[in-house]
Amino acid sequence: MWNYEKRLQYPVKITKTNPKMAQVIISQFGGPDGELAASMRYLSQRYTTPYKEVKGILTDIGTSVSEMFRLSPPPFPMVFPSA
Amino acid sequence: MRDEQISRVKLMEWINMYSFAKDDAVLYLDTHPMDMEALDYFYKYSKLRNEALEEYARLYGPLTVDTADSNKQKWEWIDEPWPWEGKEGC
Repeated sequence: MWNYEKRLQYPVKITKTNPKMAQVIISQFGGPDGELAASMRYLSQRYTTPYKEVKGILTDIGTSVSEMFRLSPPPFPMVFPSA
Repeated sequence: MRDEQISRVKLMEWINMYSFAKDDAVLYLDTHPMDMEALDYFYKYSKLRNEALEEYARLYGPLTVDTADSNKQKWEWIDEPWPWEGKEGC
């Protein structure tokens, strides 16, 4: 279970849209070596690790890596500007 | 910029700072659970963060559902803009 916080982990101000940059960011986000996959690996591997310290850190890193895309601005507004 | 907006931005900055300090202490404590200095650091910033979140909820609306203000007459969670709906993109 996770709790959403209505704020950015690191505030970003996008002054102009940049589809080329968005392409890079979206693959860092959901691509084969992206944060989405990494966080799911951390959160899956914790089930079979034998040490409590490692269970803890995999849980908390998996959570904070997930926060990068939960709390940070998704790249989508850069591709599909609302204005 | 109006005074209210300045203090709102400031309060959000403090929440971001306290949250970063707390999250970082959590990662350290997972592998150093006996470090009393780190433990004190965690509780200090965790407490400051919670107080700031409650203050923000009281003045402007909740950033987490857990800090929703019970004195309010309505459910304010859906009123304030979401992080991706800011004026300057995000």
